[in-house]
Amino acid sequence: MQHAPTVDAAHETNTGIDNRKLLMWLFLASECLFFGGMIGTYLLYRNSSVEGPYPTDRVIDGVAYSGLFDIPFTSVSAFVLLMSSVTMVLALAAIRRNDRRGLQIWLAATALLGMTFLAGQVFEFTEFYNEGLTLNSNLFGTSFFVLTGFHGAHVSVGVLILLSLWVMARRGRITSENAMNVELAGLYWHFVDIVWIVIFTLVYLLQ
Amino acid sequence: MLEALTFVLAANGKAFFENPAYLLGIPLIAAGAIGVLLAMSPIELKWPQRAPAEEEYEIVDHPADGHPDAAEYIKVGLILAVITALEVAIYYVDALEGALLAILLVLSAMKFVLVALWFMHLRFDNKLLTVMFSAGMVLVTALFVIVLSTLGASLV
Repeated sequence: MQHAPTVDAAHETNTGIDNRKLLMWLFLASECLFFGGMIGTYLLYRNSSVEGPYPTDRVIDGVAYSGLFDIPFTSVSAFVLLMSSVTMVLALAAIRRNDRRGLQIWLAATALLGMTFLAGQVFEFTEFYNEGLTLNSNLFGTSFFVLTGFHGAHVSVGVLILLSLWVMARRGRITSENAMNVELAGLYWHFVDIVWIVIFTLVYLLQ
Repeated sequence: MLEALTFVLAANGKAFFENPAYLLGIPLIAAGAIGVLLAMSPIELKWPQRAPAEEEYEIVDHPADGHPDAAEYIKVGLILAVITALEVAIYYVDALEGALLAILLVLSAMKFVLVALWFMHLRFDNKLLTVMFSAGMVLVTALFVIVLSTLGASLV
């Protein structure tokens, strides 16, 4: 039996948009507020910690404190996540062409880049912890860990989705006809990426 | 065995709950727990039939779905990489310190828009999706302005 290489056709709906896609976009719109609240909180308490550790170098009452942020390291992490968005969209382009081998390769690459980003975050968190920054050490610790921790948890969920898709692709269960599965995972993954674009600028670079 | 586990937890338990790095693993633990419950439950998961083997499908060069091809995605990816490099470079230029906020916000917004329009296909999809996502962005911008101005915080 030969499958006709067709593109993913939307089900007939009132809006003309596949319901799953509509729901995913609604979810992402709500996630804007979820992360917006936490980024706002971080900015609000940015320079309010009365005791260290602090994110950047500063001198308080003649005492010099060295900052925790390592911009070159975080830049590499941000770049890794950005490139994972490219591999994700290449996975979608592959399955739209019915290229199932390409789909497997790009999905695996995306999951690996996501795991690399997570490993970097675990390293960074552990370094900060060793420097004395915990969830309850000061306002910076609380707002920073809650924001970046929730983002990391989203990346973890994304990696699980990607690995599940990769297993499905390996078993031949994803074709150009149900490419919507890859598109939905892609939407989630790109959203996680754009949230990091905002966090990287507002939290790390803007000091 | 139980004694050893209790000892390990007593020694590391505090650190485990204090170090937020460990919290990143919670989704993995939750997914693992769901997997175990599914495996132990009487529910039978009925997977769809296996698709045809590799040699039985055809690759289409240009699917008629109006979306960009891989080459265009790579071009957008390169632009994103260049913008990120520019952001980091500007961060280290002392002369630009006064304009840092404006430059970084513009560059970051450019990356955001590029990913949303091309990678998330808002440029090519039904405009209703753009309206919905924009509504979320408008609301979050309002939230920022109200909270930060009311409570006296500023970005500079």
